[in-house]
Amino acid sequence: MQIASEVAGNKATLNLNGRFDFHSHRDFRAAYENALGETGIREIEVNFRAVDYLDSSALGMLLLLREKAEATGKSVVLAGLQGTVKQVLDIANFGKLFSVKG
Amino acid sequence: MSGSSLKILIADDSPANLKQLEAVSRRAGHQAILATDGQAAVDLYQAESPDLVFMDVMMPGMDGIEAVRRIRALPTDKWTPIVFYSALDGMQDIVRGLDAGGDDYLVKPATIPILQAKLNAYSRLLALQQKELGYIEELKAWRQDSEEQSRLGAHVMERLTDAEGLRDPMIQSFNLPADTFSGDLLCAARGPGDVLNVMLADATGHGLSAALSAMPLTQVFYSMTAKGFPLSSIAEELNRKLKALLPSDRFVAATLASVDVRNQTVEVWNGGNPDAVFMASNGKVSMQWSSNHPPLGVLPPAVFSSTTETVVCHEPGQLLLCSDGLVEAEDPEGRWLGLAGSLDLLSVEEDLKRRFDTLRKGLDRHLAGRAGRDDISCMLVHVPVERRREVRFSQPVPTPTHQGRVADWQLSLAYSSPELRYIDVVPAVLGFMTQVEALKLHQGTLFLVISELFNNALDHGLLGLDSSTKNLVGGWEIYMQHRSERLAELTSGRIALSFLVHEDEGRAVLDIDVSDSGPGFDYKAQMGTADLASNDTLSHGRGLALVRGICSDVVFSEPGNRVWARYLL
Repeated sequence: MQIASEVAGNKATLNLNGRFDFHSHRDFRAAYENALGETGIREIEVNFRAVDYLDSSALGMLLLLREKAEATGKSVVLAGLQGTVKQVLDIANFGKLFSVKG
Repeated sequence: MSGSSLKILIADDSPANLKQLEAVSRRAGHQAILATDGQAAVDLYQAESPDLVFMDVMMPGMDGIEAVRRIRALPTDKWTPIVFYSALDGMQDIVRGLDAGGDDYLVKPATIPILQAKLNAYSRLLALQQKELGYIEELKAWRQDSEEQSRLGAHVMERLTDAEGLRDPMIQSFNLPADTFSGDLLCAARGPGDVLNVMLADATGHGLSAALSAMPLTQVFYSMTAKGFPLSSIAEELNRKLKALLPSDRFVAATLASVDVRNQTVEVWNGGNPDAVFMASNGKVSMQWSSNHPPLGVLPPAVFSSTTETVVCHEPGQLLLCSDGLVEAEDPEGRWLGLAGSLDLLSVEEDLKRRFDTLRKGLDRHLAGRAGRDDISCMLVHVPVERRREVRFSQPVPTPTHQGRVADWQLSLAYSSPELRYIDVVPAVLGFMTQVEALKLHQGTLFLVISELFNNALDHGLLGLDSSTKNLVGGWEIYMQHRSERLAELTSGRIALSFLVHEDEGRAVLDIDVSDSGPGFDYKAQMGTADLASNDTLSHGRGLALVRGICSDVVFSEPGNRVWARYLL
């Protein structure tokens, strides 16, 4: 999986591309830790538009990100949900845990 | 070999050459062992296992070429470089030496700086080899460790999964691991009222780490089921336990179901698993329970929702639970089996008993001999409809030990509205009672009697619910909804229970007395409605009729807010 990060104002966006699974662990953590470290950032958006598949360890990573973001007073938004990715997140009822944007 | 100091075998029949090489070796801090012919070199090699060999070619007896061939034929687990050092300088001599197993060929006479440089180069190579051997040893140890852990994990998981409850005639299941063993967990057990509880849990990932996350679930599931706790309380406790034990990126998707054949109900809690499905005998899906909750271990207890969905089955059928491994099972072209695909496999088979095998075989065909990418587990629970409402709770035969020798034992409890709102009273009471030896044997029947009497007091006495609601279409659901709404709003009222074990006319008996602070209800009508042996399909009134069937006496006091029952031990 590739991750392209961009920052605009007080919002950081992580654009994920490919298959989000156990092997993405290190890259994903590196990407969000940058964003967490920036005090000016209030919101971290994880964009799934280009993700084809996501497994349960990816869900675990999202929970970890959510926990760390809350500790630093930032919010996490999931965006670009479609297809399988949307299905998996729906089954896990992640809509109850994260803000979700189209 | 210790540090950078090498043990060097030097074979040469000329004392001058020996001396030269020995001097160079010693000066570089290495140890030299000397041989003057081929045979002696082979013997020394075997005895001393040197790190590096300098070998002359022309020697009396066995020459250097033959000696190297023999050395190379010896079994070894490390690489020992051999450098030929010979006056023969023809191309063919060099090739012959390297073919025999030499690594290098130096032509005599070589200058001391050249010899020193060669020695240093091999010293560096050997140090590198030593390091690599260290890594290999470490990897081997890791691998052994990991295999040992897997073996232990597989053993424990097998014991946890291979519980007696799964051999229930109502259940068929399979659990196919993606790794050496599965992180999916299947559990099944009967509660004291003969209700069948099942659980299908799928932890994050697979293999040992997944299994480790799932293990804490079993004990909670089995002990709470045995005590008769309702499904929602079990879900709450499972979540609480996992949230406390697991790190935040680990969780367990789970489907819990409670199948009550007597009341013809199926209750389900689904957090993160594919839909649970009830398929009627004609192959039509009559109910689908989607995941309504995040998986277990995600939410803190304060915001966790244990809301379950219950349906009444009017016809026999099967309840299907599965992990996402079944839905996402891929054929060689990467196409998923899907839930619809699984249901198609089930429904094409008309013979209910063979549906499970048909699904299993269909899955095998779909996978085409390859293992799934994730653990694949599935459970099929057969739900019969009992046309004849028979008392399924035959009283256990009293054992002589208790007869006529029972000591008096008494327990009185009273619960007021604040406690009634959150305590599961019947399992709590049963917990006290089953500590008494004379009562332990009767656990199942006592659970039934006490829950019927207690629920009567709560539902009709305090909450004022109308049982006839249950006879409407969808009535059970409406009734249960009213019940939970009114219970949440209950601000006054009290239920007292007392139990007395004693002897009466030479028999051990248990007297049960349940009273509530409500206005009383029309117990005569309730007692009259149900005849257990008739083809009566009324959902209500069956409870009291059962109690009458089990107890020797059941007496209501006016105005119907107090009941006394005698149970023969």
